[in-house]
Parts: sequence; C-alpha cells; structure tokens
Amino acid sequence: MTDKKTDNSSALNRRNFLKLGAAGAALGAIAIPAKAKETITKKIDEKTAGNFIKTHDEFPHEIRDDYKPHSNQDIMFTAGFWGFHPEDVDVANSGKQFGYKTFMHYEEKKGFDQLSKALNAGGWALHNNVSPLASQAISGSGILKWDQYRKKEGEFLPHHDWVNEHQYEFENKQEATNAIKRAAKLYGADLVGITKRDKRWDYSDFVDPQAIMEGRPEDSVYGWERFPFEPKSVIVVAFEMDYEAIATAPTDVQGAGAGAEYSSMTKTVYQMAVFLKQLGYQAVPCGNDTGLSIPYAIAAGLGEGSRMGNLITYKYGPRVRLAKIYTDFEFVEYDKPIEFGAMEFCKNCMRCADACPNGAITFDKEPSFEPTHENKDRSWYNAKGVKKYYMDARKCFYTWGEFGTDCGSCMASCPYNKPDFWHHRLVDKITAAMPGPVHDFMREMDQLFGYGEVGNLEKIDKFYDPKGRSYNGH
Amino acid sequence: MIFTGIETLFYLLGIITTLFVMGLLKYNKELKFNALSWALLGTGSFLCIFCIAWSVSSVLEGVPRAASMGLVIFGIPSLLFLLLGRKVALKKK
Repeated sequence: MTDKKTDNSSALNRRNFLKLGAAGAALGAIAIPAKAKETITKKIDEKTAGNFIKTHDEFPHEIRDDYKPHSNQDIMFTAGFWGFHPEDVDVANSGKQFGYKTFMHYEEKKGFDQLSKALNAGGWALHNNVSPLASQAISGSGILKWDQYRKKEGEFLPHHDWVNEHQYEFENKQEATNAIKRAAKLYGADLVGITKRDKRWDYSDFVDPQAIMEGRPEDSVYGWERFPFEPKSVIVVAFEMDYEAIATAPTDVQGAGAGAEYSSMTKTVYQMAVFLKQLGYQAVPCGNDTGLSIPYAIAAGLGEGSRMGNLITYKYGPRVRLAKIYTDFEFVEYDKPIEFGAMEFCKNCMRCADACPNGAITFDKEPSFEPTHENKDRSWYNAKGVKKYYMDARKCFYTWGEFGTDCGSCMASCPYNKPDFWHHRLVDKITAAMPGPVHDFMREMDQLFGYGEVGNLEKIDKFYDPKGRSYNGH
Repeated sequence: MIFTGIETLFYLLGIITTLFVMGLLKYNKELKFNALSWALLGTGSFLCIFCIAWSVSSVLEGVPRAASMGLVIFGIPSLLFLLLGRKVALKKK
C-alpha cells in the first residue's frame, strides 16, 4: 500500500523517470557534440528554407520591351572620373571631391582619421595595385584583362594564365557545376551561382581610359567586337563583407570593409579565370566592369533586388560584394533566380531610405519602370525599363564626395544585414512567411532591438575591441 | 576555450528544457492540468526558454539592447503565461 501511495505521489518513479529521460534526450539533443549538431541544424535549416525560398524560371523582375542594355558611359564612375556627361558638373565635382579625400585627406575626426584612412588603404591595396579600374566599371584593368593567350611550344609561363589547348570534358553538367562552384569557394568566394550570358545585362559599349589619358577622345569608347570570344555563361561570385566594419558606416572603417572584399574578389575572379583557362575554356574575370553585376547575380540565384538597389542575399543580406567571370564554357547546370521575401519586405520597410544621408533612396511604396526621384529627367545612370526601385546615384555619389568614402549607410541599416546567428535566421524565415502588414511591425521591432543604426561612432570602438576575439587562437 | 558561447548556451538550453518538461509533468501528476493550464504553462515555458536563448545570443553577438528587448518582449509574457497557468491549475484543484 505504501508503495502504491508512493507511486501516486508527485515523486518520480523509475518508469516515469525513464519516460522523462527519453523526452529529455530528445529535447536535450542540442547538447550533442558540435559536429553532429552542426549537421542536424544544417538539415533543419535546409528543410525550412525550402518552404520559404521559391525559384523562378525567368528573370523575376518585369522588363519593358523598350529596355536597352546600359552603356558603360552612363555609369556614375565613368562620368565622375573620366569626363563623360560633362554637362553634369556636379557629378564631376563629386568625383573630384571623392578622389581628393580618399585615403589621403586625414581629418581630426573619428572614422576619418589617419588610422581609419590607413585601414581603408590597406583594404583596397591589392585591388588598387593589380586591377585599379575594375571597381570604376572599366573593363580589362590590370590582371582582369581580356587576353586569352595561347602558350607557344616550350614556353614557360609559371602563372598559367593561358588557355590550355586540351579541353577537359566533364561526365555531366552537374559534375561541371559542382567543380566550378567548389573552385570558387576554394579561391575565397562566399556565394557562387552560374547563369547564361544575357546581353540585356552586358554593357552596350566600353570606356577606354587609356585613350582619354593619351588625348584620343575618338577612341575612348569601343564595343563588343574587341571581346575575345562569344561568352556563353557568367559565373557570379559574392563576398561577405565584415559585419562590424560595415556597421561603422559612413566612415573609412566601413570603406575598409568594402575595400578588403574588392581585393578578395579581384584575387578570386582572376584565379577562377585561370582555372577555366587551364580546363581549356576561355574566360574573362570582371569586377564592376563589362556587365551589370546585380541583375546577373539575381539571374544566378544569389539573391533578390532591393529598395536600395543592392542585391540582398539570403545569408548575408546586402553585405556582399559581387564579381563575375565571363566564359565560353556552357556544359553546366544553370542556377535559377530565387525569391525569399526580401523585395516584398522592402515595400514596407524603408530603413535604407531613412538612413541615406542624402536622400538618394526612394520612399515609393511600389517599384516602377522609371525613376521617380527629383533628378529623373537627367538620370542617364538609371537602367530604365526594369520594374524595380530606382535610386538617385547622383545624390549617392555626392555623399561619397562629402565623406571621401563609399558610405554604406543603406547596407548597414538594412534589416537583412545581420551577423550569422540562429535567431536572425529564424526571424528571416518567419518574416518571409508573413504577409505585408507584419513587415511594418518587423521593421519597427528591428529598430527597437537596436539593429541597423548608422553614424554611431561607438561602433568603431567595437570594431577594434579585442573582447570576444582570439588573435592567438587560444 | 573548448566550447564557444553558443555551444555552451545550447547545451544549457537542453538541460533547462528537460527541467521544464520534468517540472510540468511533476505538477501535472499533482494538480491534473486541464487543457487551458497545459496551453498557458506550455506557452509560458516555451517563451521563457526562448527568452533565455534570445537574450544570451544577443549578448554573445554584442547587441545588449536586443537582449534587454528580448527580456521585455519574450520574458514578461512568459512570466504572465506561467503565473496565469499556475493560477488556473490551482483554482481547478
């Protein structure tokens, strides 16, 4: 009897303890070794991601019939730095201001002092040394050259930057895709996608700064006839920028975060080009040049368009730099554009438009085929005819001139820009599953929770703070 | 350091979750929860565990404001649910 009583008491008997043990084991699965946990969480992540990530067979933005490929002359940098659109004196002035302040013009101001400028210069150093004009959308700069050299018999070229006469043949398209993507990852890319070459996203012509510098303006623009082969595929790579560096926007520390990845992407696309050449195929590595990186990245399934005009990736938000490799290799599985709710979220969010120091980003609720900003009548820099949000690059570039760095306030303020933590991935997924009105609430919460603040110089201290970092690996 | 902050957090969350489940089952034997008690106590327990997970993660990523907000947004409702659940469970008795 006593035993029975004990059984009915609230104390745990052996059987209940075993039941609890089973439940506890299931719930305590998170306490299993890290490697196994990583595999399980990855599986869960993939499974849940599948429910929220849609793929498209076609380019996900509507394109008007009168859309024309963008001219290299109509890129803000070529106008600002190389004298195109001379009627727009303000653009040339912004270019001059920016050129004068970048790296060299120290101020007694946190974020723009010698330390920050030095950090910025170091970030950009490799890019500026080996492909200085690729970031200004100039093709064939330095090691990102168009040359498809064929090695002569007996010639010794240790850099291997020549097209192998023997073409490697993959068993199937998937194997080729896997090899190319793995190589891109090995060389330093964080994301990689492959898409068909699409003439809509290629520049219609190219600017030759050499001709301008040599006083031959008639030769300063050339066409695709100089391109060494007919491209079939474009490999698009994305590089994550340092979260803490970008959080310091708009300062030179943010510029260093961007510059470091410009240097990384220069290295990676060059290595990718050599890899493809040694497989026996022709390849041209590109930074911001030769074609529009963002539509190519959308087509290659790396992310969605956004209000600020940048690509928003699923994993890193807008905190990425993009580069690409044009190749005549086409025996691959092409990626499809994806949708995970970012563009939909942009309709209600507008954090980037609030954060932009010069109001370059539109507050329009819906995307449009034409720019709606105050400079719309002289907006040669906008690629019109695609249903998207048009930002005023003129105002944006003016801000660059003001700060002497590439600002980045829009990226830093975006709710999709978060460090890689489980709770942000969870919120992203919940957000993607929710209808529009909830996005307003999510945007407010994001702000209340303390994310996306720009112009806070304390973030520079946080960037340098050794707390939580292990420099000696202990 | 052997384990990162996140690894330690999730290990402890496993233990905390187990303790919550054990506690709920123990009091269920004693008080025989009805559906409403289960719903309130279950939601409260989940929110409480989520609140710990969120706040510690926010501290680990260096955004203390998000941790404080987590305590307010998830912590207070969790306490309310747990207290209300307790009240309903005791009233029934």
